Amino acid sequence: MVQDDVTLSFPRGLVGFPQYTAFRLYEPEDGYPLKFLQAVGREDVSFTCIDVQAIKPDYVVPLSDEDAQGLAIQEPADALILALLAIPEDPKRMTANLAGPLVINVKTLQARQIVLNIDQFPLQYPVFSGK
Amino acid sequence: MLVITRKLDQSIIINGNIEVVVTGLGKEGVRLGIIAPREVEVHRREVFEAIAAANRAASAQPQGASPVIQDAAALLRARVPKAGPDKG
Repeated sequence: MVQDDVTLSFPRGLVGFPQYTAFRLYEPEDGYPLKFLQAVGREDVSFTCIDVQAIKPDYVVPLSDEDAQGLAIQEPADALILALLAIPEDPKRMTANLAGPLVINVKTLQARQIVLNIDQFPLQYPVFSGK
Repeated sequence: MLVITRKLDQSIIINGNIEVVVTGLGKEGVRLGIIAPREVEVHRREVFEAIAAANRAASAQPQGASPVIQDAAALLRARVPKAGPDKG
């Protein structure tokens, strides 16, 4: 189980943000079930995310052998899958990026953003009408 | 940009350990095979850029204790029960 406030290591950074490899992941007060991901040393580089399980329980990331090995993930329970959220002014229209999930090894806190096929996994999955 | 002409089944070697092979030529496009060490990430450019653009957009929005984020969290709490599927 990932604790409330941890530092994750993204050796490759996030897609488009290769320069930031350490991120703080925390759940602020009154923020549940949202989590915040903030680049260490750069508070302005931050993201709002959520455990995909909470919004789409049937979501499965087709993790390549290279990614599974690189993250040392041996069984599904080792992995926490987070989706980055886009939250517009009307939060009912928020979307989750299911094409670029964050896969975190909860034991080692090593993490990667996985790039999936955008034809099969939506970049903008509507959280409130996705059923 | 380096431009090289290759025919079907011909390839180029990059950096001594990455090979790009032309495996098909047709009206639909060129098919490329890529042989590279496992740690080399290969993505179609448009996919990579779409995800990078989504990341940039996500990082530019309000964060933390902003009212929008608090509203979003409240909406999610109403929609996502702590246990069991939401039948509402």
